[in-house]
Amino acid sequence: MSQARPTPEGEGGPGGSGPLDGGGQSAAPARLQGIVRRFGPVVALDGAELEVHPAEVHAVLGENGAGKSTLLGILGGMLRPDEGRVEIGGSEVVLRSPRDAWTRGVGLVHQHFTLVPALTVLENLALGRRSAARGWRISYERVRTAALDLMRRTGLEVRLDGRVEKLGVGERQRIEILKALLRDPPVLALDEPTAVLTPGEVESLFALLRSLAAEGRAVILVAHKIDEVLSVADRVTVLRHGRTVLSAARGEVDAPTLVAAMVGDDRRVDDAAETTGRPAVRSGEPIATLEDVIVHDTSGRRALDGVSLGVRRGEIVGVAGVEGNGQREMALVLAGRRPPNEGTARLPAGIGFIPQDRAREGLIGDFDLVENVALALHDDDRFGRGPLLDWGKIRVRAEEVRSRLGIRAPGVDTVARALSGGNQQRLVVGRELALASDLLVAENPTRGLDVAATAFVHAELRRLTRAEDGPGVVLVSTDLDEVLQLADRVLVMMRGRLIAVATQHPTREEVGALMLGGASAVA
Amino acid sequence: MSEVELVLFLEASVRLGVPLALAAMGEAITERSGVINIGLEGSLIAGALGGALGALAFGSAGLGVVAGAGAGFVVALVFATFCVGLGTDQIITGTAITLGGLGLTGAVYQARFGATGTALSLPTLAPAPLPLVSDIPWVGSALFAQAPTAYLAYALAPLLWYFLFRTEWGLELRAAGEQPDAAQAAGVRVRWVRFWATAFGGALAGIAGAHLALAHAGTFAENMSAGRGFIAIAVVVLGRWNPVLVLLAALLFGAASAFQFLLQAMGIDLPYQLFLAFPYVLTLAALAGWVGRSRAPAALALPWPRER
Amino acid sequence: MQWRERLSASPLAAGAAALMLTALASGILLALGGYDPPTAARAMLAGALGSADALLSITLVRSVPLILTGLAVALAFRAGLWNIGAEGQLYAGAIAGVWVGLSVDGLSAWIAIPGALLAAAAAGAAWALVPTLMRLHLGVGEVITTILMNFVGIYLAAFMVHGPLQEPRGVFPQTDQIALAARLPPLVPGTRLHVGFALAVALAVTLSVVLRRTRLGFRIRAVGASTEAAVVAGRIDARRVILVSFLASGALAGLAGGVEVAGLTYALYEGLSPGWGYTAIAVALLAGLSPLAVLGTGVLFGALEAGAGAMQREAGIPAVWVVAVQALIILAVLAIDQLRRRRVPTTVGAATPVVGAPTSGGVGV
Repeated sequence: MSQARPTPEGEGGPGGSGPLDGGGQSAAPARLQGIVRRFGPVVALDGAELEVHPAEVHAVLGENGAGKSTLLGILGGMLRPDEGRVEIGGSEVVLRSPRDAWTRGVGLVHQHFTLVPALTVLENLALGRRSAARGWRISYERVRTAALDLMRRTGLEVRLDGRVEKLGVGERQRIEILKALLRDPPVLALDEPTAVLTPGEVESLFALLRSLAAEGRAVILVAHKIDEVLSVADRVTVLRHGRTVLSAARGEVDAPTLVAAMVGDDRRVDDAAETTGRPAVRSGEPIATLEDVIVHDTSGRRALDGVSLGVRRGEIVGVAGVEGNGQREMALVLAGRRPPNEGTARLPAGIGFIPQDRAREGLIGDFDLVENVALALHDDDRFGRGPLLDWGKIRVRAEEVRSRLGIRAPGVDTVARALSGGNQQRLVVGRELALASDLLVAENPTRGLDVAATAFVHAELRRLTRAEDGPGVVLVSTDLDEVLQLADRVLVMMRGRLIAVATQHPTREEVGALMLGGASAVA
Repeated sequence: MSEVELVLFLEASVRLGVPLALAAMGEAITERSGVINIGLEGSLIAGALGGALGALAFGSAGLGVVAGAGAGFVVALVFATFCVGLGTDQIITGTAITLGGLGLTGAVYQARFGATGTALSLPTLAPAPLPLVSDIPWVGSALFAQAPTAYLAYALAPLLWYFLFRTEWGLELRAAGEQPDAAQAAGVRVRWVRFWATAFGGALAGIAGAHLALAHAGTFAENMSAGRGFIAIAVVVLGRWNPVLVLLAALLFGAASAFQFLLQAMGIDLPYQLFLAFPYVLTLAALAGWVGRSRAPAALALPWPRER
Repeated sequence: MQWRERLSASPLAAGAAALMLTALASGILLALGGYDPPTAARAMLAGALGSADALLSITLVRSVPLILTGLAVALAFRAGLWNIGAEGQLYAGAIAGVWVGLSVDGLSAWIAIPGALLAAAAAGAAWALVPTLMRLHLGVGEVITTILMNFVGIYLAAFMVHGPLQEPRGVFPQTDQIALAARLPPLVPGTRLHVGFALAVALAVTLSVVLRRTRLGFRIRAVGASTEAAVVAGRIDARRVILVSFLASGALAGLAGGVEVAGLTYALYEGLSPGWGYTAIAVALLAGLSPLAVLGTGVLFGALEAGAGAMQREAGIPAVWVVAVQALIILAVLAIDQLRRRRVPTTVGAATPVVGAPTSGGVGV
């Protein structure tokens, strides 16, 4: 079965010789030294270093904005470093494109998938493989054979026919991995793969990574969750503010060390202590209810399949679950943006909504702060007379939001596009908090934010619910830890249904089991 | 209705459908790569003038067609420079290209031949009946006794289909039109692909225009494209971006346009503006009726790379 | 790049830059064609602005339909709608205006004129209704449908003047002259400049106020800038906004046709419009989609048109060349806007880009 090593001309197959022999190689499969990369005035990487060895799982850890994805982008040939040295297989290389990285033996599995949804799985696997026929007829049979072979050897299970758009997230990720492995790369890098997986799927993935490493490959795993890293990695590199601050073997580090390295001082990142001493959940009539709500998605299937929920003032209801199980639709219904197809939604008047895609759905990039605040006020009688808007009053409100939320911008006339992600989210949060006198619906409110901004949002959510007559909050998040930290009540969204968790303070394992469709508790 | 009249109708259907088919197949390729070329009309009229001038200059209709292809190609290249190269909005850029094409061809024509509009006499692209097949009853002469550009259209349909769905280049082109980020990550040069797909579409539209001037009308007149470029874009939708279906849809449209001859032959006399408007009304109706079932390439008309 | 920063600061500067770029490009093309660009320019300027009569009777008169259709297109584009159908909507309005104008003999001008103009606006809106409904209910992009409706409108007008509305003797393909009561009075006595110009100015100001100061105007701008954010964050009923904007846009274009008929030609004939509906796109873009600026660019293009005839007479350049110039202007505006957008993302004080990102549904399925 041994075939020639993949070359740019030949059609690569699995089971090549060469880099996987592993034994006795002194050169590291991949090494990045002194990498500097800027984006305009922002310095994403400031002398970062990474060195991976064969037959290891190497985790790259860092908080959002530390530069992990940028580093991976450089390794994968998508970005070029402004300074620094990239070595693959012991020799220095200049990667000009993703294809360059491929042919040199780096397989990259992206965070946001690079599959073409409208094409079939087989077509996606075939894409970009330059065969000897150089542009002409594709031999799909050969791709299929190679894929089946690889699936057998790694235990990856993927359906080859049918369009990618019909497949779920977990399966799509497996296709991405398969696609990368088809080139038989000595270096395989994965960018935050666990964000979209259930705890069970994470286990399978880690098992796969360990077996790939056992074959002799260098497996790089970019992550920001410490316990994942501790469970699967052989070595760890920590990035902070674009620099490598720590690089050690698994045995040499523990959670506090890693946290300290990630954050930089002894400040406790873990604000779990805040969850103790929370006031008892208020009793009383729910401020918002959903009764047997059914919502159809664009293809006619039921995205929400009979959801019932009651939210009381002052409580934070956490809804966990992997993306695509109906959370989006439920959030839209709760926020009054979408009426249910069947069932009833009883909603109060003062609703605030923090959508998950703040750049596209929460803000208008070309509008300035004042106009973005006006998005919430344009049909409010207090901010205008008759058909006219009172821009003076709206401006005052925008100034209030700016100062109270600490938005870093030269003035309220700044365009939203010019703000950083964290400041954009502050703007959205500030605008919506003012509206949320009765109910706040927050969808992944801290996605993509760094630790400081995340802590800020969490603090605001808590502050909101502690106030006298504070609103009820529904927190929909794919970040299980966030839900567990903040929620008074935890629910799991699974295939369009809500499952309540029996215990008051559940563990990750308990919730994870539910996410897999395990035993459901009393709603 | 006699056999003669039916055959005439079929012949007219094909004759009218061929330029649509050529332009639409070209546009199908362009759109599959993610670019909508509203400037197709500009390529078409440029092809018509290019074809006329080329035929006059070289004394040959065949070379005129080549010149027309070249003219359409250049116009599309300008369009691609702006929207693929610079990233300007495809719709408005296309509209500007169409306007520019119509204005330029009008100006060049008037400058060369005066503003009076006397018809040019051009070497024409005569029908070239294919042996044997053109003798098939009913459809033989309609399909196989046409100008050579018709045969080009027939040949292109399966060729382009094969290109799109069976070759690596076609796969890369489709990926570029569906999900350019993914295509780029797979090593596809998205802008390069789009550039050439657009230019190719323009060349085909140029041939269609040359056909109009040299095979259909036998002369050039300002604005003679009469919106066929826009109808071609609609035909692409109706043909679901599939070259073979696009050819069939175009021929159907040709039949609809030829309908007026049928009615006249049957003695029905309607105001001729109604006939002129008919193709456009039909296109509207077809778009209304068929749209729900087909899906455009996902990245069509979206600027790429996306702005931050 | 410092010059980009300067351009960003003011859309006027961008517009001026676009004009200069176009002038340069046209000059080069004309020279390549063997013509003399300076002569052409001089002839054009003289023809457009050379005398008071030229200014008032020709340039400003020519600018009225351009301003109105320019407003129509600007409004639509601000709402994120690709209304390329102003030409057809104009003809629909002209037909309706003429029809009313022919029917009001004996009525007072206070009834006849508003009647004709309202009919024109309504007809224009009705003409825009088909593409609007196809977009809202069938998801068909309005680009192609509005263009197709242009052709239908032109042929409908041709049909009318050859048939039902043709002047009684049946000789010429045009209508009778409309009743005196339906004709717009002159704005400046002794010239051909009619009240329609004042109406256009008033509408430009009104539209500007609506967009900047009213709730509806804000919603229109939001939907045009980002439909998703408008719907999710702003809870705006995008469909209603689209409907209102599209119909209003059609009404403005229809009004352009009615005003032209009631104020200048007093009759309808084939070829009433030399492509104003398309020129309007250049008018609107050069104005940065700002209604007040459309006043300026409308006059500019009026001057272009007015000067084209003189240019043909004196420099021998076919008048249809101005259509190519309009295309060059659009391309120049787009190119400059695109260059402006490539600023460093964290630049502050960014000017509003001329052309917003295309919103959903603009194209095809």
